[in-house]
Amino acid sequence: MGTVLQIEGLRKSYATGRRRPPRPALKGLDLEVRRGSVFGLLGPNGAGKTTTLKVIMGLVRPDAGRVTVLGRQADDLSVRSRIGFLPEQPYFELYMTPRRLLTYYGRLAGMSSERIRERIPYLLNLVGLGDVTDLRLEKFSKGMLQRVGLAQALLNRPELVILDEPSSGLDPLGKIEVKEILDGLRREGVTVLLSSHQLSEVEEVCDRVAIISGGENVASGGLDDLLRSKDEFRVVLAGPLLVEKPLLPPSASWSSDGRTLYVKRESLSRVLRSLIDAGIGVEEVAPRRMTLEEFFLSRVKPAREGEDV
Amino acid sequence: MYSLLTVAWGVMQDALHRKVFYALLAFTLILILLVPLLPTAEVGVQLDLAREAALGLASIMAFLMAVILAASILPGEMGRRTIYNALSRPVGRKIYYLGKLLGVLAVLAAALILNYLVILAFLAAKFRVFSPGTAKALFTIFLEGAVLASVSMLASVHFGPLVCVLLTGLFYVVCHVKGDFLYRAMVDVSNPGALRGLAGFLYYVLPNLERLNINETVAHGERVFRVGAAELLLLTGLAVCFAAVFTGIGMYVFERKDL
Repeated sequence: MGTVLQIEGLRKSYATGRRRPPRPALKGLDLEVRRGSVFGLLGPNGAGKTTTLKVIMGLVRPDAGRVTVLGRQADDLSVRSRIGFLPEQPYFELYMTPRRLLTYYGRLAGMSSERIRERIPYLLNLVGLGDVTDLRLEKFSKGMLQRVGLAQALLNRPELVILDEPSSGLDPLGKIEVKEILDGLRREGVTVLLSSHQLSEVEEVCDRVAIISGGENVASGGLDDLLRSKDEFRVVLAGPLLVEKPLLPPSASWSSDGRTLYVKRESLSRVLRSLIDAGIGVEEVAPRRMTLEEFFLSRVKPAREGEDV
Repeated sequence: MYSLLTVAWGVMQDALHRKVFYALLAFTLILILLVPLLPTAEVGVQLDLAREAALGLASIMAFLMAVILAASILPGEMGRRTIYNALSRPVGRKIYYLGKLLGVLAVLAAALILNYLVILAFLAAKFRVFSPGTAKALFTIFLEGAVLASVSMLASVHFGPLVCVLLTGLFYVVCHVKGDFLYRAMVDVSNPGALRGLAGFLYYVLPNLERLNINETVAHGERVFRVGAAELLLLTGLAVCFAAVFTGIGMYVFERKDL
């Protein structure tokens, strides 16, 4: 599995005024996105997610670092014909219709008229706008504009799709449709880099994530690896607890269902012995899997506290 | 080349959906048709005055249109962030910038051609004369519009539309008075050295836009001075050189701007 996007030591600061020091947005960011993956870029507001995406798209010039996209430097124009980009809250000239807009962007992408004509109905149907192909965008809701944005990002059959908050402004049905589109892209082997605040969405669709905080990558890897706790275990009892709860170390805690225990690594053998001594059957012992939200908070909070210091 | 033309075509489409384009065009064309209401003079002079007034109105329209369109395109696209959608395609920033300027110039050319046709029809209807020579004046108006648009667009890389219009207006005034005011300020030994230096710098660096103004000559039938092909070529060269310098600086600055 090759690397589609490689970022090394990326730094970027923004000027804040003549007499004020520049505000660093990225402080030596490293990131790797592998081919065919759906990669989630997470982070609190101001973490540097959008700046990272802008650097990849050549919209912002980095102060230092290297960005390689599909084997070429990010500022190499030829690579853009292989990338699709959906900016955060996309906006378009509202006098246009989806057909005219996509034709315009298709021409800018260097696509032939025939190919553009072929792609437009397919894409507009894909994003659920097949029946408003010739309606002016000024009549569109925010969610519909977001769908147009998604269609334009997929216009040139990109190998890498970069989406900044793709579900922003969409209703629950729209969010499900976006998830289905992302699943479809994954099946086609398209690499997706997705920046989002919606952790549940990322947990559902991404197979790898990176968490950025304060302009640095504070955690990255496969979702399963990251969320599997290394120092806490989940102990599932064989059946409902019929006897009195045995005395357990304070680090062990019962879940609300009364059948599951969360135990720290150092207490695991003591807890298991206590359970067996009390005649309680154990069905499963496995590393605890955190929710993405728990993991996110565990990584972002310390990083922020470090910054505050 | 294809991207350049696509961007330019986009600007023309955009202009056709702007009220300011139609307002300026309609206002000018109506005023041209109202020229006969000016105080009367002898018939021969009346024709010259009508031509001069019509060309003057066309100049004002062209300059306003060039400056307003050029000043508002980039800030508008950056503000609305529609620029992200375009620049995420394989389109270089220089091409994008140049395409936008070409689009403005195409809109300006179309508006001036329309003006020309209206002026021809008006002069033919009112004075029974055919005045194809007005095309020369409209051409130099276009050249001046191109220089102003390139200045306005350069300013728009960093400033909002209002500041750009004001800066370009200042540029227009200074470039029209440079042959007189700046020259006198430069050579007048009673002026402080710094003022003479500044006047001299501006005198030699800025274009003399008054040189591009041949409205009066054309309006009076080129009786005193004939504007030949060599003169038009020289004026074209002058305008192209200055527009190219301002556009080159604009492209350089725009390419380095964080969006």
